[in-house]
Amino acid sequence: MDPGSPVRRHYEDLANNLLSLEGIGSVVVTSPEPGVGCTSVCVGLGAALAGMGRRAAVVDCNLDDPQLHRMLGESNFVGLTSGPDGGKSLEHYGYEAVPGLLIVPTGPVPPGPASRLEGAGIEQAVRDLKKGRDLVVLDAPVAGRVLRSPTFSGGFDGVLLVVHASRTPKSLARETTDDLLDSGVNLLGVVLNGCS
Amino acid sequence: MVTSTSRRGWQGGRRDDPSLAEVLYVLQGRRLLVLGVVLVLAGTALLFGLFREPVYTAEAAVSLAPQDELDDEEAREAFVQEVQSVVVTEDLLWEVMDQTDAKAGIREFPELSDIRPFVTSGGGAGMLVRFSGPEPELAARAANVYAKLFVERVELLDGGQLDGGVTAANAAVEHKATPPERSSLRPLIFAAVAAGAGLLLGGAAALLLEGRASGWRGVRDAELTLRAPVLGTIPDYSPTEDAG
Repeated sequence: MDPGSPVRRHYEDLANNLLSLEGIGSVVVTSPEPGVGCTSVCVGLGAALAGMGRRAAVVDCNLDDPQLHRMLGESNFVGLTSGPDGGKSLEHYGYEAVPGLLIVPTGPVPPGPASRLEGAGIEQAVRDLKKGRDLVVLDAPVAGRVLRSPTFSGGFDGVLLVVHASRTPKSLARETTDDLLDSGVNLLGVVLNGCS
Repeated sequence: MVTSTSRRGWQGGRRDDPSLAEVLYVLQGRRLLVLGVVLVLAGTALLFGLFREPVYTAEAAVSLAPQDELDDEEAREAFVQEVQSVVVTEDLLWEVMDQTDAKAGIREFPELSDIRPFVTSGGGAGMLVRFSGPEPELAARAANVYAKLFVERVELLDGGQLDGGVTAANAAVEHKATPPERSSLRPLIFAAVAAGAGLLLGGAAALLLEGRASGWRGVRDAELTLRAPVLGTIPDYSPTEDAG
């Protein structure tokens, strides 16, 4: 992230808030609906952590609509989906965008993508990625899918909900928050994206 | 910085109903809407109160006692109704109208009168005579004339048998109607009640609109709406917002 960027300070605030929460090493970033800027929040957060001298990783887990590689202008030949079959850690399928920030795109999206991310494999892969890193940020599908996935709703340290200040209906955001909490998800808090 | 809502306490709280703080915040945010509804309703009510012809109601009471004692409340009530059906005729109403100066305002007598039988647990029975009119004095005069004429006509029965087999009654005016006080505050009372209703209506509309809105006013708005801590706010800066 450009050191002179006007949003840098905001991402650093977000990073500091997350780091101040005890025992949070992996965070699932989701939203009530598509198009609220989850991926840019993930990248901005990862970049802010790296800029603060921390080590972080951003993993694109949104097999429904992979965006991370597009946003960064990179290919998506290998990534998260390559990990379970390749037998190597996720570090081998990602690349360092800036010093301290590992980017792992989705990799090729298989048929029936959701089922590919279920199970202990992905959880173990992220646990491995956490070693030596301050935070692993998982760019997840929308909250409805997160709720249906035991891996995303309970397999990591917490969930961060992104709402867009001018696009996300309040009723939908409230409903999503309630659903997440009712399901026992460790909702860490909310990011208000696109503020004026 | 983590903002006002503490992470430890907020997750377990009851989330079904909006909190008072949330309601007040919404009302403050949409104060123009609420104020507008309050002003429109209060203004309408004030005009209605100012231009509507006032209605005053006065009440007299007539006691009725059968010559044969009736123990049962139902029997006493039936007795009162029986006397009423015999005594109250169109003729009586015309006479009340004549003596009350109907041209002064009581043109629709039947609609403006309310005659109700009553019985008491102590063995008493009678009729409440209520009249309404645009002037307090007129309403009281009508109620008193009706009561007086009613008593006179009961006396004319003179111990005769009614249809129910009961011997006719003694009647007396128990209390006379007094003119009700004129109230100059009536329009203001209307306006105050309407303002209260406007506050409720405007508040409900504000809450409804707030629920459907997709514009967030900031951190406080998000925290109150979602009842979750806002860990970060990101300004709308990125020239190419992603779709994820």
